[in-house]
Amino acid sequence: MQAIAAAPAVPAIVTPALLTPQSVQAQSPPPRPPGPLATGKRDAVADPVSHFFTAPRFAALHKLCHLLMPPMNGNPGALEAAVPQFLDFLVGQSPTDRQQLYKSGLDLLNSRSATQFGKPFASLDATQADTIIRPLFVLVPWQFDLPKEPGARFMAAAHDDIRVATRNSREWTQAAIAAGRRPVGAQLYFFPVDPVYPPAPPAPVYKG
Amino acid sequence: MAKQEFDVLIIGSGHSGGMAANVLTQKGISCLMLDAGPEVNLATNRATRNPWELPYRGMNKPGRLPHVVQANEFNANQWVDEKEVPYTHHPATPYNWVRVRLLGGRSLFWGRQSFRMSDWEFKAGEKEGVGDNWPISHADLDPFYSRVEAIFRVSGRKEGKPHFPDGNFLDADYGPDSATVQKVTQIAQSRGYLVSKIRASNGRNGQASSVNLLLPDALATGKLQIVPNAIVRELTVDKNTGLVNGANFLDRHSKQELHVKARVVILAAGSLESTRLLLNSGLANSSGMLGHYVIDQLYGVQVVASVPEARGGTPPEGLMGGTALLPRFRNLQKGEKNNFSKGYGMMIASGGAAQPGFFQDYGESLQKKLDLHAGACMTASIYGERLPRYENHVRINKDVKDAWGIPVLHADVKDSANEHNMAKDAADTAEDILKTAGWDILSKTDKFHPPGYSIHEVGGARMGDDPKKSVLNKWNQSHDVKNLFQVDGGCFVTCGWQNTTLTMLALAMRASEYLAEQMKTKAI
Repeated sequence: MQAIAAAPAVPAIVTPALLTPQSVQAQSPPPRPPGPLATGKRDAVADPVSHFFTAPRFAALHKLCHLLMPPMNGNPGALEAAVPQFLDFLVGQSPTDRQQLYKSGLDLLNSRSATQFGKPFASLDATQADTIIRPLFVLVPWQFDLPKEPGARFMAAAHDDIRVATRNSREWTQAAIAAGRRPVGAQLYFFPVDPVYPPAPPAPVYKG
Repeated sequence: MAKQEFDVLIIGSGHSGGMAANVLTQKGISCLMLDAGPEVNLATNRATRNPWELPYRGMNKPGRLPHVVQANEFNANQWVDEKEVPYTHHPATPYNWVRVRLLGGRSLFWGRQSFRMSDWEFKAGEKEGVGDNWPISHADLDPFYSRVEAIFRVSGRKEGKPHFPDGNFLDADYGPDSATVQKVTQIAQSRGYLVSKIRASNGRNGQASSVNLLLPDALATGKLQIVPNAIVRELTVDKNTGLVNGANFLDRHSKQELHVKARVVILAAGSLESTRLLLNSGLANSSGMLGHYVIDQLYGVQVVASVPEARGGTPPEGLMGGTALLPRFRNLQKGEKNNFSKGYGMMIASGGAAQPGFFQDYGESLQKKLDLHAGACMTASIYGERLPRYENHVRINKDVKDAWGIPVLHADVKDSANEHNMAKDAADTAEDILKTAGWDILSKTDKFHPPGYSIHEVGGARMGDDPKKSVLNKWNQSHDVKNLFQVDGGCFVTCGWQNTTLTMLALAMRASEYLAEQMKTKAI
């Protein structure tokens, strides 16, 4: 970038093809100061595409996200923050034990729902859904020691993931800013460090 | 053409290597420092980001750093890549080895708590009849501690208690204690426990690292050269004398192997990395003790209580805030009966929040509870001392090599009943204090992290007077190879409950001054 900015406005060797008629040059916009281009953020312009969970599992996850993290206190809920789609991506990228935990857990919700109410978990009303999920909540006194029982373990892990993914979303930050609150979660990010060569000193400014 | 021979080769640039360079160069001794990692500039290498701007929404790339509990997506790039430099352990006995390979090492990121160790740690064998004594006492280290405290600008409150030795402190302004901290203090004192405050390195300009407090003075002498991205594979030995004469290292990027010559070698790569290098070099192990007695501290036990008067989000002014530090209070008296040896320090912090897992609830109902207890919580956590045991060791795993073809470490470190009993006592004691204050216990656990988590791993090359039972002598010098020193935490005989850095710095300063004296008199 700096090398381009420091280059002379006219190439040292001018070929006939690069010559521009005077009248056209006069119409061209004034040169902009050198600097990085303004680029956007993907979450601001695009929606995630889901690949990992089967349709019945994704529907159960979608329902679970809404139940565990609805819109509260002026903040968006998990659905507004596209958490089901994000977790589809995150779990899909994860080691197999986490994938299996989610698959089995979502299957458990659907199978218990089918047994008790004859329909999938996603189709339950809030009261019915509560009878399925409430028994899976156990006390987790220390976040690094999740329950051993698979259903409870799934619920503890998914609950934490859904809460964090919601709070870490762009939508959550925007809601905080709109309400005049300080956004949570911003931290110092440590960039990858791997200079084969030390950073170059600033390029000399070309003065013609 | 053979390059110059340095007086001293220092391997590692963290606190202990930085201290060695600082001392030796100012005495006119030429030093070469090699570090396995690149140079970084914390001012330009970090920038504030929202979690949603990161690839994984701040939730970390799955499976990237399975052993680094401290890792998140913001700091993931500061830790050693576990795939690049792996280590192994049995699945049933996890070991969390948390490493940094950057110029300045872990000194760039440490928590800065700065406690001296006492004779309850240095003379543990005499005091408790458990484990071995160090070959030195607090009195031997006292002047070095004082000088380190001056360099690192340690602040603290003096207590006049031998088990929690005072230092050369800057005045610390802790402000008036909140009412909850006063209450904790009264209750703990009524049980005979000392209650004090955090002692911390203030450093300068927001940093207390080797990079800003130790290495600049060394470089200013003109006697230090630092070469980053140099991964030492093995130390080399003069076959005629048996002394080390340099090291072979690999360029981190090209993997080209190079050799550097030195009259003396100082290891300061971290307790386990230095041990790995010695084991891979086949040196300094006539005792068979190299890699054994690996220790670290026990973290994780946690009790949380809610203060009724503070609930609802707006506690009365002066009620919440601040911390109380209870330095070790168990097994200080002869004849004291507990079902464990050693002890633990306890920190009680006022003004924290409840965690979702403290309630069997979800959605709006859960959020109301979290809001109710926000800022109203008292959180007790501990710094426990693990026992040094011969069985707890690291060894070379020849079947696994790192990205530079160097055999890796296998960690075989287990907890014993002593650690579990200590954790239970700590959780019960914290619960007792918080309950006695009239607060409601929200959560209690006596579970703790696997060994290594505290990032205070020490031992593996312990010091001692008997060459048959120790790797280093009381000057951090190899019993076997007289021109070889190790000044990081490898020399620790016991780990104490105290954060280890201040002691490592004092030991590195003491060993380096001894070495300089020996070189001056041509004894080395």
